[in-house]
Amino acid sequence: MNNIKRLHPICWLFIGCLSLHSAREDSPRDFDSIRTNHWSWKGLQDPKPPKVKAQHRVRNDIDRFIISKLESEGLGLSEEADANTLNRRTHFDLVGLPPGTVDLPENSNLIDGLMSSPHYGERWARHWLDVARYAESHGFEQDYDRPHAYHFRDFVIQALNNDMPFDQFARWQLAGDEIAPDNHLAMMATGFLGAGVFPTQLTEKEFESARYDELDDMANTTGMAFLGLSIGCARCHDHKFDPITIKEYYQFVSTFGLTIRSEIDIPIPMPDGNQKQEKWRIEKERLSKELSTFERDELPKRFLAWAQEPPKDASGITDWLTLGDIQPKSLDGSKFSHQGDGSFIVGGPNPANDRWVLTAKVNLQQITALRIEALTDKSMRHNGPGRAGNGNFALSDIRVYAKRTGEGGKGKVVKLVNPRADHQQNTSNLSVASSIDNDKRKSGWAIDGQIGKPHLAVFEFAQPLVFKGASVLTIEMDFFVNTSHTIGRPRFSISSHPAPPLKGKSKDQALATLLKAVGKPGTLENLSQDRIKELEKHYRTLDAKWLELNGKIDRHESNKPVAKKVKVMVSSEGYKPLKHHADGRGYPHFYKETHLLDRGDPNLKKEIVNSSFLPLLLRNGKQSSHWQKTAPNNARTSHRRKAMAEWLTDLENGAGHVVARVIANRLWQHHFGQGLVKTPNDFGNQGEKPSHPELLDWLANRLIENDWRLKPMHKLILDSSTWRQSSRQVEGKDKRDGSLLACYPTRRLEGEVLRDSILAVSGRLDRTLYGKGTLNEASVRRSIYFQIKRSRLIPCMQLFDAPEPLVSQGRRISTTIAPQALLFMNGPHIRKCAEEFTKTLTQKDPLIAAYEKALGRKPEIEEEQTSRVFLEQQAKAYKAAGQNNPEQLALTDLAQTLFALNEFSYIR
Amino acid sequence: MNSAIFGKAMKQDTTNLSFSHPINRRRALQKAGMGLGALGLTSLLHEEGLLNAAVNPLAPNRPHFGGKAKSVIWIFVNGGPSHVDTWDYKPELERRNGQTLDGFDRFTGFFANAVGGLMQSPFKFNRQGQCGKHVSEIFPHLGRHVDKMAFIHSGHTESNNHSPALFMMNCGLPRMGYPCAGSWITYGLGSTSRDLPSFVVMSDPLGRGLPKGHAANWGAGFLPSVFQGTHFRPKGDPIDNLHRPSVQDDAQQRRQLDLLAKLNRKDLAKRPYEEELAARIESFELAYRMQTAAPDALDLKEEPEHLKKLYGLDIKKSTHFAAQCMMARRLVERGTRFIQIYSGGMANQRSWDGHSDIKGNHTGFAQETDKPIAGLLADLEQRGMLDETLVVWAGEFGRLPVAQKGGKPGRDHNPHCFSAWMAGGGIKGGVSYGESDEIGHKAAVNKVHVNDFHATILHLLGLNHETLTYRYGGRDFRLTDVAGDVIRDIIA
Repeated sequence: MNNIKRLHPICWLFIGCLSLHSAREDSPRDFDSIRTNHWSWKGLQDPKPPKVKAQHRVRNDIDRFIISKLESEGLGLSEEADANTLNRRTHFDLVGLPPGTVDLPENSNLIDGLMSSPHYGERWARHWLDVARYAESHGFEQDYDRPHAYHFRDFVIQALNNDMPFDQFARWQLAGDEIAPDNHLAMMATGFLGAGVFPTQLTEKEFESARYDELDDMANTTGMAFLGLSIGCARCHDHKFDPITIKEYYQFVSTFGLTIRSEIDIPIPMPDGNQKQEKWRIEKERLSKELSTFERDELPKRFLAWAQEPPKDASGITDWLTLGDIQPKSLDGSKFSHQGDGSFIVGGPNPANDRWVLTAKVNLQQITALRIEALTDKSMRHNGPGRAGNGNFALSDIRVYAKRTGEGGKGKVVKLVNPRADHQQNTSNLSVASSIDNDKRKSGWAIDGQIGKPHLAVFEFAQPLVFKGASVLTIEMDFFVNTSHTIGRPRFSISSHPAPPLKGKSKDQALATLLKAVGKPGTLENLSQDRIKELEKHYRTLDAKWLELNGKIDRHESNKPVAKKVKVMVSSEGYKPLKHHADGRGYPHFYKETHLLDRGDPNLKKEIVNSSFLPLLLRNGKQSSHWQKTAPNNARTSHRRKAMAEWLTDLENGAGHVVARVIANRLWQHHFGQGLVKTPNDFGNQGEKPSHPELLDWLANRLIENDWRLKPMHKLILDSSTWRQSSRQVEGKDKRDGSLLACYPTRRLEGEVLRDSILAVSGRLDRTLYGKGTLNEASVRRSIYFQIKRSRLIPCMQLFDAPEPLVSQGRRISTTIAPQALLFMNGPHIRKCAEEFTKTLTQKDPLIAAYEKALGRKPEIEEEQTSRVFLEQQAKAYKAAGQNNPEQLALTDLAQTLFALNEFSYIR
Repeated sequence: MNSAIFGKAMKQDTTNLSFSHPINRRRALQKAGMGLGALGLTSLLHEEGLLNAAVNPLAPNRPHFGGKAKSVIWIFVNGGPSHVDTWDYKPELERRNGQTLDGFDRFTGFFANAVGGLMQSPFKFNRQGQCGKHVSEIFPHLGRHVDKMAFIHSGHTESNNHSPALFMMNCGLPRMGYPCAGSWITYGLGSTSRDLPSFVVMSDPLGRGLPKGHAANWGAGFLPSVFQGTHFRPKGDPIDNLHRPSVQDDAQQRRQLDLLAKLNRKDLAKRPYEEELAARIESFELAYRMQTAAPDALDLKEEPEHLKKLYGLDIKKSTHFAAQCMMARRLVERGTRFIQIYSGGMANQRSWDGHSDIKGNHTGFAQETDKPIAGLLADLEQRGMLDETLVVWAGEFGRLPVAQKGGKPGRDHNPHCFSAWMAGGGIKGGVSYGESDEIGHKAAVNKVHVNDFHATILHLLGLNHETLTYRYGGRDFRLTDVAGDVIRDIIA
């Protein structure tokens, strides 16, 4: 039997895309035309939402795309689902728990409220863990545990809860250790690469092939998860369907060539932890109390005294109003300390990248410009004005939003024009103009050359903002250009001057407000208590004592102790490799060089290849070198993966547009049960084509506009009529595969959601977040906290089609099999939940209460009658059988029945 | 919610299984009932069509062509049985006993530093049956059935290490994460069992553990998990949740299920086009029946004494394996499609992995299994079931002709050569296919790769290994990867 192994002759049976392969390496391929001709590789289009007849069903533009296609088939959306159904659907989609079991913040709408619950991250992390083939053991014969691998799961949950931009989410999983080595979440994220299986017992003959298998796992999972590309198909020969050659495969793989699993100790801030933290907390409490006592007892008196003799408005005509009472927030942990001059000293950990969100209430009738001062302070190296090691800073992007007070959201974008600064590092990528250019990450205002001096920049508003009464300004500032390059002592001012001078005089907004209100002695007495309290808030930023006490807290906050170090499994280079069974035989863990392997066989080594990215997705004539910068002098790692991560998410020249399509499709899939592209891991020639290609691109564009954040996308989708329509099928309507969406597709809840829901309604759910998982099926934590040991997968999860965590899985199938029914009938944990559930039914009529609790509705008359008869007969039977609590048992049987109802198990 | 995956499979009628032949489907359903989870009711209620098949992936399915075998019982000789001590008689080893094997790559096996000289088998070989096959003395009972068996002496595999080799033998690739043969077969043919799993795995009940690689050996990989093997727990209840809550009696549970059905049907009336809901209603009825059907299938009380003796159930050493063989027969009678019984547990002396004391090791495991397997073959034959039941005897690799040094010498792993046999299910009896070299070091004549082995098993079941495919990650995967030839010479 003469086999030529590892050649895939079956691939050749298909001839659909041979044209792609007519030209191989010898004659260069025309990637421009290959890309243009394939929907997922070509540049993002921004299609205009089509016009539709059923205008009244359009809630947002999503509906236009869906209805338009339905109308072309003579169909339309179904009617809107009833409120109860929508409530249930929203809950299951966003948090995977039924209504009534999730605490919602007051005054928020349902969608926002659910997305702000940490259960949101738990629900959506599970989707990503399938894609990441996540597990906590090696697999193969010993299947040793990876006891510190669970940090990756926790990273995913936290990233989702923080609404981390997806491009950052992607980059950190590939190269968090190179991009932000000081950030614990970035390190945890690298668990992605090392989550695959690996044989711990190896013979010498298997060393190399096992390592190449491992590299293949990293490359292939990366390809499927982010690009929808089956890169691994080019391991043994040129890809038969997608334009990837075997050489390109090994070049791509070479990026991971030095990457291995290691366990390292990382300081992870914990809400509660060691003694040091406790000491810190007590001191914080003391300081806070000191301040609040002062604010209660002293501040009113001091304000009163001040108002008796307000300072003369000596500022004269001023050009600028300083926003000393602005509220600053850092998304990455920086701390701001109020200074008496309206500036802030920035402290706390110095994050690699930072985003500030500052909001200020403003009383100016007209606003024409924003000024940012970067002041010096001894808290910084070389007195700053930046926090970088050399005193520099780099502001990659600045955005301003404005709204009337009381309006929701951030308000309208304010277009910034005519940027000016007293000094800029150069006139190109580090100029002040580059802080408002299209590049939001790699270019921005910096000031090297004049370190140690204060600097300022002005951004004028294209149109003056005119408000009657108070308005709210939101300023967002990104510091992404260079590692840890934030401003160390910022001060913000606004102007109503039609041509505000750069260095014009300023006065403090708080002072101005106060002078306006109580500028004359004696006016304070005539004001209401509420107004006085409000003015006090302005006053305090002028009060030396308040500033001192508040500053103490700010400084204390900056010195918050990091918790004790925690062992985390990371994928990186140069750390000690994770202990391995074959270490004794001299297993090297990695090879410095990656070879091209003929037919994928380590015995058939060809030339050494270096890291480069798929030419298919190198655009505008760029080569991989465009992203491959020389690693910094003191770099611990090769920075190959960092370059790959940047290429992957580069919207302009790299693969970012594909990444955006792939994740937009995944989002859609988890809200509708199937993606616009039904093969979420395969956007290549062998994958399905999108049912609504324009909508897919439209969604990808909205995602990018929202800075790659997923939460606004959920909101958009959930707000559409398409999502809100009824799931009730009507005969003859869209009976093919549901992709037209003539009704909302029903689907069975995943095993995790089913189990969590039963625990939640029976009041047993333990809501502890994060941490080590368990193999104990009797655990009452959410199912995502089951430990995933490859040889001991949790039976009740497997029963409901949880995939084996061996290879990336983009989509679960859903089966209906008798052993699932057995679990509902006889599973001890479900029975226990039914028992506990009945104990929560304290109402007079437990039957009605049971329906409301389990299904979120009252029983219909017929249901009620049937159920009552059942309770009666069943109790009688239990009594006859000598049970001493027949009614209780009958009620438990009923509860168990409710859990087993089709209605309970389906998203409708 | 029916899976696009199935949708895909259906579209490619020429390369994939077709679920869309109403007449065949109806016949199959009438004849065979429904699968374990198989939700036949909807299929019977409605017109058969694509959607039904998609709802029920386990619906019985037409093979690609008429195959003789309907079921498979694979005795997995776990740990790697030594071919030169069992079925592959090598007189040359006696002549060269103790000599160094020149040019031997000491990294062939697992222990590179314990390589000894050539070692003759500690066992006598006697001619057996009409075909005169040389059989090791450790198989006195199996020796009587050699005329039913087709031997393969030229098997070879791709790993010298247990778990990769186990994956190779089960899944066709020496890596973790691919669907095993049983899953492929269940995917291809669906289930004919009314209320039992269609793919069952039995492991060592004597506390010696699971085969290396554990459940990945009967995993469905990227196939839907419904096709994975059901591992019958070696002790206690074979599967989970078979017993109703202790407070309930049958009537009480029945009443509860009636309430459930009534409420669910009321709901279904509002959603008549959602076949899955009807299927789920039926699944509870199947589950109700399974509560008695599963224990019944494994209950040997009613088996006559003479049969128990035939299997060796009365002999302490072989009681456990005899019981498993007998259960396998009962499962096949009830429509189970694919059964794997692992002989032995983990490595070394807990399985056929005779690194030390090959004589003691193989004698012991032969005593455990010889009479039970022989009994199974005889029993299947007398019931007329052997024609449709393929019995396979194979492990993950063979063992070396050189000794592994130690107090009592053993043999190390040999990926280059192993022996296996098949019987029943369309196999030609009394034949031997392929040859190893004169000392049994490497397969030499008519080499049989694991892919060929699998191709042959699929063929006997009426499945074309080249067209039984599943699309994953942009590629149509097969059990036989990209190779495999059916061994036609051993097919009747």
